[in-house]
Amino acid sequence: MTVRFSYGRIAHVLLWGGLAVASLGISIPKIYSGVTQYPLRPTGPLHTCDSYLKFATGASGASKDLISIFQSMTASKRIIIFTRKDDAFSSGLGMTTAYLASPHLVRLFEISGTHPDNELSKMNPDELAAVVFCRVNRPNWLPAGKVIGSGLEVVSTSEKKVRR
Amino acid sequence: MSALALLGAFGTLLGAGYGFLTLLARKETQLSLTEQIAFSWLLGTGAVSLLLWIFGLFVHGVLLPGLVSIICLSLGLVGWRRMVPRPLRRKPNLFEIFLGIIVFLEIAIVFYLSFVHTLGWDGLLNWEIKAHYAFANGGVIPATYFSDSGRAFSHPEYPLAIPFTELWLYLWLGEADQFWAKTIFPIFYVIGTFLVVALGKRFTGKTWNGLLMAAFLFFVPQITVEVGSAIAGYADFPLSIFYLATIGCLFCATEPKNDAFFRLYAACLALLPWVKRDGLILWIVAAACGVFVILRTKRSSRHFLALFPGLLIICGWRFYLSAMHAPQAADFLPMNLETFSSHLDRILPLFSAVLAEFHNLPTWSLFWFVVAVGVAYLLGQMRNPGTPVLLNALFVPIVLYLLIYVFSSWPNYLEHVGLSISRLLLHVAPVGFLITLLAVSRRRVKSPAPVNERGVTCTMAVSERTPVVELA
Repeated sequence: MTVRFSYGRIAHVLLWGGLAVASLGISIPKIYSGVTQYPLRPTGPLHTCDSYLKFATGASGASKDLISIFQSMTASKRIIIFTRKDDAFSSGLGMTTAYLASPHLVRLFEISGTHPDNELSKMNPDELAAVVFCRVNRPNWLPAGKVIGSGLEVVSTSEKKVRR
Repeated sequence: MSALALLGAFGTLLGAGYGFLTLLARKETQLSLTEQIAFSWLLGTGAVSLLLWIFGLFVHGVLLPGLVSIICLSLGLVGWRRMVPRPLRRKPNLFEIFLGIIVFLEIAIVFYLSFVHTLGWDGLLNWEIKAHYAFANGGVIPATYFSDSGRAFSHPEYPLAIPFTELWLYLWLGEADQFWAKTIFPIFYVIGTFLVVALGKRFTGKTWNGLLMAAFLFFVPQITVEVGSAIAGYADFPLSIFYLATIGCLFCATEPKNDAFFRLYAACLALLPWVKRDGLILWIVAAACGVFVILRTKRSSRHFLALFPGLLIICGWRFYLSAMHAPQAADFLPMNLETFSSHLDRILPLFSAVLAEFHNLPTWSLFWFVVAVGVAYLLGQMRNPGTPVLLNALFVPIVLYLLIYVFSSWPNYLEHVGLSISRLLLHVAPVGFLITLLAVSRRRVKSPAPVNERGVTCTMAVSERTPVVELA
């Protein structure tokens, strides 16, 4: 078998070989850092939610706590979640809480600042199962709820009524 | 116990897919083992998710997975009886073995990465959430989920191929488990490499070409480590693999009388809008390419029926959403001429943003530059119907995605682009690999000539006959 070399073939090999080497040169550091950046995490049915909650609040295994809190409430009532505008942590925490609050209907309120007094005063407490504060301050007139890590508080309204 | 349940879930899924594959390919076409596994997985995920959705309209609880399992087993039995013939195997050479080992190691790393990382943001809150809620409600997404405005952030209007594949795992596992749900996504990576290897062999007649491209799949950061990559639990990578299969099959179907691949094209095409809402755009492009191939290869008009299953899924899902009173997506303004003309000033900044994304080296490395060189190679071969199919399949979705942002309702539409453009480009990236494959092999694709359908390469009329090596 004879292999015929031509300038075209050599140029072709050089072009694609060069592109391949340059691509690898750029990609390998990025891929390497991606592979070595994180250690193996604990497994578990809610491991993604747990990771998010730990990241945002510092609390470990918080998903189960949240689920058991929500399960103890009347399922037909809505859960109100307050988050802060322009705060990605707060927004993420709110959505993760909404995920875990099923089968309750939820309503997310994004507020400017950290005091949801105005919004809360307009709500009918009989229709609510709980109010959740995600990096938002609980009004002083509302009884303390279950605090999870830092920045997440769940106030059940089935026992204590919201002041109107 | 989990391992057995996973085995059951994946076994029934592959069984169903294989059954469909044998019905579509019949005994008239030889498919390598890699092709059989790849198409079985793609058709299996599509079939199981559709069955769960359709049967879920009528039954729930234990009956639902029971019924779907019976259908999967029946299809598996059909597959067993109608086995698709495999081509002769030959001993791989040293270079092919070396590349095969590299690809194997890369797959192992992708699995490792998938287990190290959690589900990504959208992976949890757009996709897995649906599987989780459906599992808690006897296999059916509760009607209140669609009408609950508080959960509109999770896009209830998104289709169910990925969440219901996760649901299938949950139903077998007996619990909703976010850790095991992640196994689906590296499997899509495996299927992607199998398809690139198999299509590489079919396009060029040489196994090492496909293996080489499959090895390079790993070195595009957007595919392996970036946000929305194969490890994040997003639907974008699976969608890109469905699109790869659709376009790859259509390229092979440009050979006259290669109806087996045309049927496979129709099946993969139908599933595009079922994987992700953006799949509708890919469906339109791939369907237009299909119409072009039908006309160009002078196929009978009954081939237009290939578009029907996809249309059925699109309309069926729309009808379901309106019946469930699902909220409309709020990310885009009403798409009409008036909005388009009033936002025309966005086109140039959008064009610049996409160009900037092409040379975003940390995300794409030199991928798009390499594809551009590949495109330059193929421009001289436009007479073959396969070449315009590949080029349109690459470029038209990018242009349409670009135009979609003209209707963005975000106050800062460029931020909208910045957050999603890399994932949208990911949809067409595997097609870029096919183009590069043809360019690297320097295959001069001639006008298709009639070939025996039992052959193994789609460009056999012009290719050197070499036996197929299977990546077994």
